[in-house]
Amino acid sequence: MKKKLLTLLLASAMLASTLAGCGDGAGAESSSVQEGESQGSVAEEQQSSGEVTDFTMFITMPGSEINSDNEIAQMIADKWGVKIKETWLTGQTAAEATGTLIASGEYPDYIDSDEMGQLVDAGALIPLDDYIDQYPEFKETWFTEAEWEKFRQPDGHIYWINPFGNTMGESTATTHNDEAFWIQVRVLEWAGYPEINTMDEYFKVLEDYVKANPTMEDGTENIPYTILCEDWRYFCLENAGEFLAGYPNDGSVIVNKETMTIEDYNVSEDTRKYFEKLNEAYNNGLIDTEFATQTYDEYIAKLSTGRVLGMIDQWWDFAYTVNDVFKQQGLDLKGCNYVPLGLTTEEGMENRWHTYDDTVNQASGVAITVDCKDPDKAFKFLVDCAMDQELHDLRFWGVKDVDYSVDENGLYYRTEEQRMECADTSYQASHLCQYSYMPQWSGTSRDGKNANKPEEQTSEFQNGMAEPLVNCFNAYGADNYVDMIGSVVETNGPWFPMYSYSNNFTTDTPGGVAWAKMGEIKHEWLPKLVMSSNFDSTWDEYMAAYNACKPEDFIAEMQEILDTFK
Amino acid sequence: MEKTANMTEVKTTGGTTKKKSKGIKTHYDSKIFTVINSLIMIIFVVVTLYPVLNTVAISFNDGIDAVRGGIYLWPRKFAIKNYETVLAMENLITGAKITVARTVLGTLSALVVNALLAFVVSRKKFIFKSQLSLFWIITMYVNGGMIPVFLLYRNMHLTGTFWVYVIPGMVSAWNMLVIRTYMQGLPDSLEESAQLDGAGYMTVFMKIISPLCKPVYATVALFVAVGQWNSWFDAMLYNRMKTEYTTLQYELMKLLSSVMQQSGSAAAASERGAAAAAITPLTIRAAATVVTILPIICLYPFLQRYFVTGLTIGGVKE
Amino acid sequence: MAQEKKKTKSEKNIGKTKITLKEVKRQKSLLIISFFVTVYGLIFYYWPLTGWIMAFQNFKPAKGILGSKFIGLDKFKFLFEDAVFLRVIRNTFCMGALNLITTTITAIAFAVLLNEIRSVIAKKTVQTISYMPHFLSWIIVTGILHDALSSTGIINDLLMRIGAITAPINFFAHPKYFWPIVAFANCWKETGWNAIIYLAAITSINPDLYEAASIDGAGRLQKIFHITLPSIKPTIMILLMMNIGNVLNAGFEVQYLLGNGLVQKVSQTIDIYVLNWGISQNDFALGTAAGIFKSVVSIALIVICNQIAKHTGEERLF
Repeated sequence: MKKKLLTLLLASAMLASTLAGCGDGAGAESSSVQEGESQGSVAEEQQSSGEVTDFTMFITMPGSEINSDNEIAQMIADKWGVKIKETWLTGQTAAEATGTLIASGEYPDYIDSDEMGQLVDAGALIPLDDYIDQYPEFKETWFTEAEWEKFRQPDGHIYWINPFGNTMGESTATTHNDEAFWIQVRVLEWAGYPEINTMDEYFKVLEDYVKANPTMEDGTENIPYTILCEDWRYFCLENAGEFLAGYPNDGSVIVNKETMTIEDYNVSEDTRKYFEKLNEAYNNGLIDTEFATQTYDEYIAKLSTGRVLGMIDQWWDFAYTVNDVFKQQGLDLKGCNYVPLGLTTEEGMENRWHTYDDTVNQASGVAITVDCKDPDKAFKFLVDCAMDQELHDLRFWGVKDVDYSVDENGLYYRTEEQRMECADTSYQASHLCQYSYMPQWSGTSRDGKNANKPEEQTSEFQNGMAEPLVNCFNAYGADNYVDMIGSVVETNGPWFPMYSYSNNFTTDTPGGVAWAKMGEIKHEWLPKLVMSSNFDSTWDEYMAAYNACKPEDFIAEMQEILDTFK
Repeated sequence: MEKTANMTEVKTTGGTTKKKSKGIKTHYDSKIFTVINSLIMIIFVVVTLYPVLNTVAISFNDGIDAVRGGIYLWPRKFAIKNYETVLAMENLITGAKITVARTVLGTLSALVVNALLAFVVSRKKFIFKSQLSLFWIITMYVNGGMIPVFLLYRNMHLTGTFWVYVIPGMVSAWNMLVIRTYMQGLPDSLEESAQLDGAGYMTVFMKIISPLCKPVYATVALFVAVGQWNSWFDAMLYNRMKTEYTTLQYELMKLLSSVMQQSGSAAAASERGAAAAAITPLTIRAAATVVTILPIICLYPFLQRYFVTGLTIGGVKE
Repeated sequence: MAQEKKKTKSEKNIGKTKITLKEVKRQKSLLIISFFVTVYGLIFYYWPLTGWIMAFQNFKPAKGILGSKFIGLDKFKFLFEDAVFLRVIRNTFCMGALNLITTTITAIAFAVLLNEIRSVIAKKTVQTISYMPHFLSWIIVTGILHDALSSTGIINDLLMRIGAITAPINFFAHPKYFWPIVAFANCWKETGWNAIIYLAAITSINPDLYEAASIDGAGRLQKIFHITLPSIKPTIMILLMMNIGNVLNAGFEVQYLLGNGLVQKVSQTIDIYVLNWGISQNDFALGTAAGIFKSVVSIALIVICNQIAKHTGEERLF
């Protein structure tokens, strides 16, 4: 400790002595600019293919900055002539950040915001239509004509491109990234891999298992089921009704395709049954008593011990952290990994938990601002990102033989060492450069063999699986998580997902006000429903409070949007 | 001038006489008081210290292991990865320099201005005494919101400069009132006799009031310094794209929010397939906290000297 | 007593300070300082208040204050017609008052008791430890608190062992525990920090007073109640008054981090309401309207307190 203190004092003394230099900020700036220029000139000599343009980009999402001397960023700059400095959201909401940006009137070259409408209103963005037409190949592959139309603003221009959600070739998705009822493979193994299709069956298995095995090997008590309800993460508790009724993840509402009407799943019979079942389970002691008050951190910690047998959640919300811990602690070998179940209210119904289609969210994307130094070059780079496989591989796989290797069949793979290195944050900052909010593909790459992104590569996926998980997949005849949940393959309507509209509702309209109030009421009452000692009367009270929010205003506005697709 | 010297002298002698008379008055109940008081202090220290030590322990623990909980005063799986991550930030040195610069400049300027203002409003005969106080008190409770303030700074060409950290926060009504209250507690006779000797207000301020105000100046300096040291919001708001004016805390915040995004917002995570690393928000947060606290704990003994000087002048009883 | 009489006398004198040319000349230096800080204050604190216009507009950042459409009092109507907002005011006010009372008492008690410790080293150590929690971010503090109050946490464990309860209490599921938990969290985090001002004030107490009391045979408790506390009363009163204006700023982070659906009826504060309704929905006007409401209430509270203080002869803010 003493030594540490000393070094710290020394360090601060050092800082004080260099202070003279920093008081004069302009000096620092000019030196860094010079540095950039000298790098640029080196690149020029090597490539002699034009100058490197430095672009700035602001993204209203939290993210990690890469170092200014990032190696792959430099390679990209050398070859494609563009280097982007990304700045991410910190400590503000996206709306606030966009608001201040507009107020200041100074924009970065690229911007990716959740508040695109505001930026268009402010005249901050340049229309991209002409640029898009200059690259017909890009125009054709990136979106369909109908999809492009969704991006067209009331003034007839397209201002931004969503960089995500495009699958090239055959889908290589192995994980069910969406919502599901999850269950540990050890429970299924113990029960002899039964077919589980309804909530009754699901809770029956959990109950039987916990009766037979009240604790884990090390004596930790098993928790049959928990639900995360913290803040916005309560959606899993909230929207199961739509899935149980066999509808896809439209989010805030159900779309009845036959009648083309919006239905409110909050008041549906399926939802009521769902909560009734949870209530019954809670009163039988099957649900974690602290479910309603746990924070996200606590929830993750709980799952990481392997003691939670089942829960409802979306994969990305828990799996990355939890699976790593399982691996480290050897819990994956004990069958603690979770697999998704596609439950429905009644036996024999189709389930639509998994979204196979590309989800095009027209509400956000990347745009070029009026302050951009060189819009032509900026747009060309957007196209390069989408169309140049070499660039794509460099961004997501890294440098060949450094970050990944190629086997005799031309398949990319990462050695254990490479995998470790790529997971290292300082290596990510100094070497890897994804430009993760520029256009990108999932699915199979243009070579027809490899996945566009390492995490979707079959070999990468299989390498990580423990035996109990493999056994479980085999028992159900599934190759991966997507097979496991077994959703119906179906093309969603052009309106899908409806949540991309409701997320943009503001309190300017009665529907927006109702939507916000409904959320508040549900936050309070849904846990109460689960914990109630008299379900029927609590449900009635909840319905009274819910209807007081005027949900009909919200539904009516959603219907108006749906009607535009008729 | 002479008067002040006299005064301090009197006080010191007062202190020593008391030390001499120590022991004579040690009552039985005084002993009980000491015991109970010590007990209270010990409980206080334990309750206070435990979470701090716990944070330190977590900061030295492996990230994924820490998620399982159950770490108390000692790391279970020792790792310095968290500190490596925190200290590997590219702009750490720039941020540290700027933070030190703004802390030093900001504290000095704020101290001078607040002390002057406090001196003015604590003069009993000053003609606008209550109006000026009210003028500043109101500023504590009203603000125009983020956007108007932003526009003002931009029009004054403060945005995108280092000075946006120093100039706007120079006067703080709160700190001014703290100094004022202390000044009001000083005997009026000091000022009156000096003025009889022909001293102007500035001389009174420099030569008589300020030397006596060391404890409160140290207090306010600490408040301002800590505020400056910890601030990041202004760096983000006004110098977002200017890496050369980044601050230490802003860099830490950036790091934190980027680690958190691993388990963060729906769209981001589902769309980018996160690369999970062995650090988690929990441990990074702890390490960042420790990095933040350490310099201030190192700085504190220097400021504390002034408190202690004050304490020996006025505080030693029996 | 004698001191107090003297004060009221001299205060009467100030009232009589007339603005004469001679007086203005004499106070030239004070007036110059006042002029500059007032100009500074007008620019940096009062000019941004033009932003309050936003509350009466359907403000869109793209159009600016001049271009946005006026909607009159719509936003205020929305606020006061919303039953949730009225409940939120109650929560904010009650939590703010509870926090103010508890943190003030603990800080004073701590400062006084710390001052009674004779060993300088112990005193220094305890104080250094005491303000450390101030630097822990709320995320860390609430995390620790969640741990301690969980069904297997230390508090339930303790209560079960002494037999006060038979089954663990889920503290965060019951609205009745929420306010005390928040108050405790605030006390824990800020006691040592807030005590710094009181400690500085204690240093200014004339040691002769203690001396005289000792000769009169006063015990230590008596000295605390008859000398220490009355001597720092001005500081206490001023801080109390300043903070009363902040009652409606009861906080955001603690409630946000500790709250959950089950207790949201008592946990939501004005700031959380604004976040839910204003910021997330991009409604700057609503946020500004709530801000204006808070400012008006704060200033009203301050003025009322100041008037009461004036009539009872206590220390005043202005």
